[in-house]
Amino acid sequence: MITRDTQVEDLLALPGIIPWFIEHGVSPFSCYGAFPGTLGRLLEIKGVTDEEGIIRELNGFFNP
Amino acid sequence: MLKPDSSYKLFIDGKWTEGKEGKTFNAINPSNGEVLAKCVDACKEDVDQAVAAARKAFETWKKVSPQERSAMLLKIADLIDANAERLATIETLDNGKPIRETLAIDVPLSSDHFRYFAAAVRTEEGEAVMIDKDTLSLILREPIGVVGQIIPWNFPLLMGAWKIAPALAAGDTVVIKPSSATSLSLLELAKLMSQVLPPGVVNVVTGRGSVSGNFLLEHPGLNKLGFTGSTEVGYTIADAAAKKLIPATLELGGKSANIFFPDAPWDKAIEGVEIGILFNQGQVCCAGSRVFVHEDIYDKFLADCVSAFNKVKVGLPWEKDTQMGAIVNGEQLQKILAYIEIGRKEGAKVACGGKRLTEHGLDKGFFMQPTILAGVGNKMRVAQEEIFGPVATFIKFKTEAEVIAMANDSEYGLGGAVWTKDINRALRVAGAVETGRMWVNNYNNLPAHAPFGGYKKSGIGRETHKMILEHLTQKKNIFISLTETKVGLY
Repeated sequence: MITRDTQVEDLLALPGIIPWFIEHGVSPFSCYGAFPGTLGRLLEIKGVTDEEGIIRELNGFFNP
Repeated sequence: MLKPDSSYKLFIDGKWTEGKEGKTFNAINPSNGEVLAKCVDACKEDVDQAVAAARKAFETWKKVSPQERSAMLLKIADLIDANAERLATIETLDNGKPIRETLAIDVPLSSDHFRYFAAAVRTEEGEAVMIDKDTLSLILREPIGVVGQIIPWNFPLLMGAWKIAPALAAGDTVVIKPSSATSLSLLELAKLMSQVLPPGVVNVVTGRGSVSGNFLLEHPGLNKLGFTGSTEVGYTIADAAAKKLIPATLELGGKSANIFFPDAPWDKAIEGVEIGILFNQGQVCCAGSRVFVHEDIYDKFLADCVSAFNKVKVGLPWEKDTQMGAIVNGEQLQKILAYIEIGRKEGAKVACGGKRLTEHGLDKGFFMQPTILAGVGNKMRVAQEEIFGPVATFIKFKTEAEVIAMANDSEYGLGGAVWTKDINRALRVAGAVETGRMWVNNYNNLPAHAPFGGYKKSGIGRETHKMILEHLTQKKNIFISLTETKVGLY
């Protein structure tokens, strides 16, 4: 179960996760490497207003 | 071909150490997927040890005279030049960038950085002023202390030089962490620095950003943070600094405007597009990723750029005629290709490129075609978001006022350029675009002696110039009364 406390780096192992994130306006990977924090913090920095919605969608996509 | 060592350790307190937990990760060649070397994944105790070593070394290093510090920086520069081929080759193998770039740009700019700051520190002076006839005010510049530095994978050696040279010049000691994607060249630089510097003055810890990097950011023993990387991660660096009430300088992301007027010097301008977006495979924070072309020349300029892009030799980066090498890893390649798809959906036309390359021996690496997305609107995601790859977005404009407005319609402000022979227009446009660096009739020239840094979400602070010494030092005022006469208040 992916939550806001899931480390972004751990999510990068999921197949197709990067295009999924880019499609949703969030880049989990940059010239630093994987974002060094939680999914919640990344979504906050990116100004995602419906955090619960995107996490629900993420779980639906990767854990159908 | 030269090869890196099969394994590297952490460089702490002048010694190479395997790390307390013995965890390692592999450095991978992005051109063929082969393991280049094993590196240490630093744990908290390793980072603690590195910061402690830097703190202990600082007590002596801060008292070393500018003359002696300068001499050491010059020796490091000489060692970089003497080992240019090894450093360039290892950088090419680890990062994927062409050998012609590492030999001609990354390595020479790195050694020059040490030379520049060796010179700068000899000219630094304090100030003295008589406040009144009985009062003397002295302003002294003192080192700030132990500096924690984190650098990205796109220019590992050069970013190492940008961070380490001025810190040493300022009298600070350093704990620096390269990206786990490209650790090798900085470790090779550490080998050279160990021949010159006292133990503990520079310490190199390697490992994953989310682990070793966070241990460094959270360490209470640092006096300053220095970071080059994405804007998103910049926020976390700024948070870490704020929690400790220490300063941070940040060189972050960009979506820079490369602006072409009808009187641009044509052939040089075409090359300016290529240098702006294909140099280092477009993996450059200040890449000229938004190409603004005046409507009078748009069609011909686009056609000539397409023709030029199609001729670029993409290949194994250690081959001397390769002009564009591998993307740094699979994650970054996926990100770039995802953005190309978004561009298509937004209505942009793929004028050339757009695909991964797997033919002619490139199937095991992360190669792609130089790409132009044409007919882009400035509000499209591909024009607003940092792609960080060899993807140029072509945007048409009519007037000077319009292109300035579009150039400024970005949350970033790092680089940019204006191409014209009209000096008045060049200065008007360069002055009006909200960005830290505007090139005129050139792009991606990043020598020492010209300050570089961002406006807006592209960062805080300036590098590549002695003004960085302001961030790496602190000022002490010694306020002296020269009279023995009582004030008369008590």
